[in-house]
Amino acid sequence: MSTPTEDLQARARALLESGEADLVIGYGQGTTPQKTTPIFITKAEDAGQLVLNPFCHNNLANWLTRKDLRARFPRIAVVAKEPDIRAVVVLIQEEQVKPDALRVIGVRVDRPGDPDSPCEVLPQTTLEDLQKHLRESFQPRDLTPDQLAAVEDLEAKPPAERWAFWRQQFDKCTRCHACRQACPMCYCDSCIASMNQPQWLDTSAHPQGNMAWNITRAFHLAGRCINCGECERACPVDIPLMLLNRFLARQVNAHFGYLAGYDTEEYQPFAAYKCEDNQDFIL
Amino acid sequence: MSTKTLQASRLPALLDAIRQSTRLVAPARDGDRIHFRPVAAAAAEIASHRDYIVPRNSIKEFFFPRSEPLLAFERREAAVAVDDPPMAFPPTVLFGCRPCGAASLPIMDALYNWDSRDPFWNARRAATTVVAIACTRADEACFCTALGSAPNATAGADLLLTPLDDTRYLAEVLTPKGEAIVALAPDAFRDAAPGDADKQAPCQAALDALPSPLDLDRIAAWLAANFESDRWAPLSYKCLGCGCCTFLCPTCHCFDIVDEGTYRRGQRRKNWDACQTPLFSLHASGHNPRPDQAARWRQRIEHKFNYYVQKFAVRSCVGCGRCIRHCPVNMNILGQLQEISTL
Repeated sequence: MSTPTEDLQARARALLESGEADLVIGYGQGTTPQKTTPIFITKAEDAGQLVLNPFCHNNLANWLTRKDLRARFPRIAVVAKEPDIRAVVVLIQEEQVKPDALRVIGVRVDRPGDPDSPCEVLPQTTLEDLQKHLRESFQPRDLTPDQLAAVEDLEAKPPAERWAFWRQQFDKCTRCHACRQACPMCYCDSCIASMNQPQWLDTSAHPQGNMAWNITRAFHLAGRCINCGECERACPVDIPLMLLNRFLARQVNAHFGYLAGYDTEEYQPFAAYKCEDNQDFIL
Repeated sequence: MSTKTLQASRLPALLDAIRQSTRLVAPARDGDRIHFRPVAAAAAEIASHRDYIVPRNSIKEFFFPRSEPLLAFERREAAVAVDDPPMAFPPTVLFGCRPCGAASLPIMDALYNWDSRDPFWNARRAATTVVAIACTRADEACFCTALGSAPNATAGADLLLTPLDDTRYLAEVLTPKGEAIVALAPDAFRDAAPGDADKQAPCQAALDALPSPLDLDRIAAWLAANFESDRWAPLSYKCLGCGCCTFLCPTCHCFDIVDEGTYRRGQRRKNWDACQTPLFSLHASGHNPRPDQAARWRQRIEHKFNYYVQKFAVRSCVGCGRCIRHCPVNMNILGQLQEISTL
């Protein structure tokens, strides 16, 4: 029986040999056995450098909007775990990626970071079939029981307590904006945090600047975050950013019945108007 | 200046004595993270040096804070009043940094005393005593030895403690500031006997795990000659430009100056900045001389291992490994330097 890594290498090799892709973005061995690192394969004979193991963390959909790569490689194939396929779906919805020039090698890594996590290359090869797999098989597994418990615990707290909690967390922020850079949904050419004529957000790492940045980013991700967790993993000061993102994702789901990244044909709640939308918050 | 031994059992009392007379900054545990922060309550908050390779943050923020006011302004009637910020910094003891952290200070001194003497950096330097602890182990990201340093090097430290065994430290008193620490609890220290002075043995496990020295002159020469190399693009494809490396780095020192506030009053502040973002080099015209991540990653390596060497005759890197350890995409600056050294 072939290993997940061998399956992945075979899939990548075939895409490069057939010319369906001129670049495969995947995982390679990192600096320790417990680390992988993104690698960029352009020749079929290099496909043997790819690995698939429980330490595949990065959401590689993030590189689909990279201008330097797109200028060099018109047809890109990306190795995408289930949350990362959701990111691809959102990027297609938002017209940042053209599905025709894209190949997705769907993979399943149940518990990234856990050495015993099962992992496999998904049998589905088309985006339609991968989305169907997400809706039928992945959606019920999207939030782990621990993640759900943590967000329910936050929801149960009174607003003043939640405010105090986030104030303390955001106080740690150094404004490196690694959360933004690690996020596949943060692809804006000019981020609001970089707009300085005039300055929209204070760039200082003081309570006002940190609160403005983190709240603005959370709002921009409401109904768009696909729960990959890369922002939280990148954060050098351990702010539990995913708790905030999951909180907002549940709000969006409660009010609009929408989960991001499961269907390229759907309209996003904040990009669509429906007569039956709840209007009672308008004064 | 002198070499003593410190009884490990007396260390908590020494730390409490420090804390009573000065601000104490030391590695403390908050959740899973061990990081340098002021320790106000008790010496028990301080993490044992055995529990960390290096703390998450570097010590630079206690000399060069992530954000600080340079001046305050207020419009009054006809004139604008401009006030300097307070320049009195509390006496501080920075305890428990590694030799790599201490070594970052003289490197940064060169920059902050080059074309002008930076009053903020220098005043905090003068007010701070650095007590370093030698490393008894290293992880895969550590590379001080690749840069010619060592896990028990003394540069930048006022006092260096090397754990001899579970009960004693060798205490190298290196400056008058270090002597002042000894004077806080003289009973805790004894003059070292000749046999005590072997500070290599405790660090042997770390030395065994650390990489061999790099040919740094050859690297600098390659960097000087290969600004336009085709290698920079593939080297940097995976770099997200997140800047974690620069924010955690003990020797990255770039800052941005911003004016904040309203028409009536506000502040001019100095904030950490990072060469890994497009905004860092964006001109007012809209032109960006570092248009892609290849140019920005090249800048990081060129600055640390070529430009800084040309300007100050020292590399702007101490091999602490934070940039490797915490990079979300596992960029490996050591691996890249090793590769460059063979070209």
